[in-house]
Amino acid sequence: MSGTAKRIEIQAAQRLKTLMRDYFLDLDEAARDPARRVAWCTSVGPCEILVAFGFATYFPENHGALLGAKKISHQLIPYAVSAGYCAESCSYMNSDIGAAIRGVSPLQDAYGVGGPPKPDLLVYSTNQCREVQDWFNFFGRRHDAPVLGVCPPTHLGDVTPAHVAFVRGELAGLIERIESQFGLKLAPGKLEETVARSSQASTLWRRVLETAGARPATLSFWDGLIHMAPVILMRGSPAAVAYYRELLAEMHDRVAQGVGAVPKERFRVYWEGMPVWPRVRDLSEKCFDLGVSVAASTYCNSWAFDEYDGGDPLEWMARTSISIFINRDEATKQAFLLEMMRRYELDGIIFHNARTCPNNTNSRFGMAQRLRDRCGLAVLVIDGDLSDQRFFSTAQTMTNLEAFVEQLEARRRPACAALVEEVAP
Amino acid sequence: MSRGRYVGIDAGSSATKCVVLDVAGDMLGQAVVPSGFDYAEAAAEALARAMAGVPLARRTVAYCVSTGYGRKNVRGADRQVTEITCHARGARQWYPQVRGIVDIGGQDTKVVWIDGRGELIDYRMNSKCAAGTGTFLESVAVRLGLPLTAIDELAMTSTARTVLNSYCTVFTGTEVIERIKAGEPRQDISMGLFRSIAARVFEMSAVRDGPLAATGGVVAHCRAMVRALEEIFGAPLLLPPLPQLAGAYGAALLAMELAGAEPVRAAERTADALGAAIPTEVRV
Ligand code: SF4
Repeated sequence: MSGTAKRIEIQAAQRLKTLMRDYFLDLDEAARDPARRVAWCTSVGPCEILVAFGFATYFPENHGALLGAKKISHQLIPYAVSAGYCAESCSYMNSDIGAAIRGVSPLQDAYGVGGPPKPDLLVYSTNQCREVQDWFNFFGRRHDAPVLGVCPPTHLGDVTPAHVAFVRGELAGLIERIESQFGLKLAPGKLEETVARSSQASTLWRRVLETAGARPATLSFWDGLIHMAPVILMRGSPAAVAYYRELLAEMHDRVAQGVGAVPKERFRVYWEGMPVWPRVRDLSEKCFDLGVSVAASTYCNSWAFDEYDGGDPLEWMARTSISIFINRDEATKQAFLLEMMRRYELDGIIFHNARTCPNNTNSRFGMAQRLRDRCGLAVLVIDGDLSDQRFFSTAQTMTNLEAFVEQLEARRRPACAALVEEVAP
Repeated sequence: MSRGRYVGIDAGSSATKCVVLDVAGDMLGQAVVPSGFDYAEAAAEALARAMAGVPLARRTVAYCVSTGYGRKNVRGADRQVTEITCHARGARQWYPQVRGIVDIGGQDTKVVWIDGRGELIDYRMNSKCAAGTGTFLESVAVRLGLPLTAIDELAMTSTARTVLNSYCTVFTGTEVIERIKAGEPRQDISMGLFRSIAARVFEMSAVRDGPLAATGGVVAHCRAMVRALEEIFGAPLLLPPLPQLAGAYGAALLAMELAGAEPVRAAERTADALGAAIPTEVRV
């Protein structure tokens, strides 16, 4: 067991706290200021357009994650179910709807604000799932605000120029609709500037994640869940760029000094799928105790986009939005996972089968079996959910994690088999 | 190697099992006791009973491995190993050719697949649901007002292909009552119950090639369970001599291996070294 070495906290976390407070206080102010506008956006939606128009952007999925992390989703979901939403649909959506019905929000205690800011506009992209469409429509009706959407081609193998052109057209249409609906005009150069900043933050975030290639890994999936907030919530802002510069410098120091998220790193694994928000702490402590570094993940890499080269910003947005992992076909996803296993020199992969998010779950069409049988990887599938803790069994998951480590240990101990034969009666 | 005993304790959710081996790997004693509310006490009790037939002067414990749901509560264990690894280890000792192990316990069911060297390849446990476990059978037995042994005997006389259609424990109970009301023979409904469990187990098992062994309390006590599993897996099962003790046996075997692999821990101790774990009457 590794357990004894002390965890070294990431210093930038302090700065992040201030950044998050400023972000939510500003949103609250924007919602109350008649001269400002608030737009709700999906996490991999076209937020650069909204930022370029001057909207303060808010991301309901983040609120869903907060409700999960606060372990209150399961108390709120029944209110969404009674309003007609299926109990096994997205628990982010259901708990967010339930929270609105009950007037509950973790933002109240954390930042002293009333809750999520009232939207003037809601914009989704179905590049991640169709659930966001229905989720945003609920709040559009509730707040009597317009809901606009982008519906790109999904589950792509190759991303072709035709795909990109189609989505570019949708984004251009979105701009026109916002201009006519709000009587606004996008200032020349503004979108280029916003996209450049968005891409800068995203590239820096990617480089932060890549430092986990070091041994021991500089940061884990569990750290990433905290530090990815700005690349989602503040994309396109100078604050996000500044934050990731600071974080990257700290990670480089870690590499130089040999500091790792799990100092006595015994095994390095990949996390595929959503986090189990209500159990992040338990899982992270368990991994720490077992000497397991979750050095790479699909989830944290979901906002590590390609660099913007200064060309057509809409084309970059179009390409980026449909090239993300969740929007790809099974073969592309599998190739990506294998590449990550190789690049980060990982010992195994953990799939989270999230009950209410089939979109972010990739163990449902034989992928785990293929990686195990054809590629010889050590694979563990755990059943759970992103927010609804009723779908998660702590005891069974912890046993499975321990068994996974026993499996990894046995793989490293070829003499073990001989030993077994030796003691056979 | 030490001359002491190697102890495996499987603290399961319903029953606690203990196996004591000598240096040659022969089973000197074994016991099964109800787990109750206190895993530590149940473990101590199981160890005391398993040691009861061992001459007093030979009750030295060289190494103890605990496993099962309550493995962390077993006082004095040298090491905790998951029931997944232990069941695989135990079954493989009985059947070196085994590739799959289906274990149906009180509250959880697991399916473990290993390769030719005994290494884990894949393992599944039932998710948060009683369907496919011993608890499921017990709850339906209560509704029927029959002991489990009677249901098993009835089921073994069935010749029909009855299958229950419900997915969950509560709905199955209702379905059973409806079928009784509809006049379906009890023996067929009883066999349908076992098929229902077997179907749940089969679904979660991600079937692979190779001989399959069945372990656990339900298999130990219900022949109809074995019949239903053999039907759905389409092959005869390997049935260990002591199916309920597979986990504890595996734990004891691992205790031998770990004692060899960890010489410091293998130093022969009196039972006092396991102090709290061994009740007064069996202390050396
Ligand atoms: S991707 Fe999954 S978690 Fe995210 S909004 Fe869609 S259904 Fe919910």
